[in-house]
Amino acid sequence: MADLKNGAAIRIEGLSHVYGGTVPALQDISFDVPAGRFTVIVGPSGCGKTSLLMMLAGLRAQSQGTIHCLGRPIPAPDPLRVGVIFQEASLFPWLTALENIEFPLSLRGGAQKEHRQRAQAMLELVGLSGFGERFPHELSGGMKQRVSIARGLVQDPPVLLMDEPFAALDEQTRMTMGHELLRIWSTTSKTVVFVTHSLTEAVYLADEVLVMSARPGRIIDRIEVTLPRPRSYGMMATDVFGRLRDRIWQQIRKAD
Amino acid sequence: MKIVFARLALLALVLAAWELLPRHGIVNPLLLPPLGDVLAMLGELLQRGQVREALGVSAAEVLLAFVVAVPLGAALGVLIAENDYLGEVFKPMLFIVFAIPKSIFLPMFILVFGTGFQQKVAYAAFTTTFVVLMSAAAAVESVKQDYLLVARSYGATRLQLVSRVYVPSMMPLLLETLRISMIFNFTGVLIAEMYASRTGIGHLIASWGENFQMKQLFAGVVLLAAAAIVFNEAVRFLESRVSAWRT
Repeated sequence: MADLKNGAAIRIEGLSHVYGGTVPALQDISFDVPAGRFTVIVGPSGCGKTSLLMMLAGLRAQSQGTIHCLGRPIPAPDPLRVGVIFQEASLFPWLTALENIEFPLSLRGGAQKEHRQRAQAMLELVGLSGFGERFPHELSGGMKQRVSIARGLVQDPPVLLMDEPFAALDEQTRMTMGHELLRIWSTTSKTVVFVTHSLTEAVYLADEVLVMSARPGRIIDRIEVTLPRPRSYGMMATDVFGRLRDRIWQQIRKAD
Repeated sequence: MKIVFARLALLALVLAAWELLPRHGIVNPLLLPPLGDVLAMLGELLQRGQVREALGVSAAEVLLAFVVAVPLGAALGVLIAENDYLGEVFKPMLFIVFAIPKSIFLPMFILVFGTGFQQKVAYAAFTTTFVVLMSAAAAVESVKQDYLLVARSYGATRLQLVSRVYVPSMMPLLLETLRISMIFNFTGVLIAEMYASRTGIGHLIASWGENFQMKQLFAGVVLLAAAAIVFNEAVRFLESRVSAWRT
């Protein structure tokens, strides 16, 4: 727990990954994510952002280097430390919204009634009270992603990993969801690592943006986003916002 | 609602035509006996010991073949779907064999098993196993990798992956497999009985046909059609309950 006192929820040191013994995917990545911070990773397609996130979740092993999450390595998924929110919501179509949110709790056993209450509270948090009995195909894309976020939060993990969660949504819904996410984040004080393609989304959400190079993925820039919180849509029109976005864009262009 | 009425009207029309056309000599009643006569014959046949025994034998053959073929086919299907190497090796061959009409193998089954009970069961199980195998493999492959990844990220054990992701995700396809396999099974037994047999409802139907006993023949057809429809609808009802989430 020493790292926690230093304020680092995630510490990555000298991480490299090679696919199938030959294809270098990630190269010498080191960074800390301080507890309670919102870190966004951007980079060109195929740069290994998702792989990196899967390793942080304990879903995939790296070839080299160490990952410490809340002071300990994470060799296998540990839902009490890390919650993952995937692209495309990935809700189970045979379960209702509420049952989907309950799913992580139900894997661990325990009182059904408490699970239901907890899931109901999460549903409310993401603004979907009254939609608990709907099946995923009866929900819009944005609503599905809200359910998915509720599912990620239901076990109250201190760390939340998000893999392009809004990529499948239309621009308008995407912005609304980003704003919603910030609202939820501000009430839960999680450490968030968020992967995205969208530079606007990156600047809007992040405390810090990490820019990755094309394969093999390296961290080529770290950009502190100094915009005050709470963020508002109006900030997107400011010079500061534009300059930050432009700097990231320049870095990615160089990287590609 | 209108659709339901139209469907019932169509059914009534067909049945009425079956009754009235032969009754008034518009269709030769020797070829198509009126519905009423056929139903009367059906009632009479069901009283006969010989017919009841034949039905019992056929039912036993169908059930035994089902009990053999479904687990066997399902196990093999899961195996080739889960094991990439076995899948790569066996799938092309299975696809080719699947395309061959299975009835051409019937003479071989007679040579090996004779013309009795065993041969019917073996042949029906043989035809059914292929169907179950193919659809079970398709069912396993229909499970999205995303769902497995999500469940694993929440710490699901292997057993939980099977019970909480694989089974519910595959359930609609599995029920459909069950339904289709019963149809193949039933067909397999009937064809084997009609081809060479001393008993069974297929044998009776074949001999009624050969002897131009059209009332008996149609009574047999009505009986088997009813049995097939009842099973089919029962499983379809289950399917609709289980797969409400499918769009």
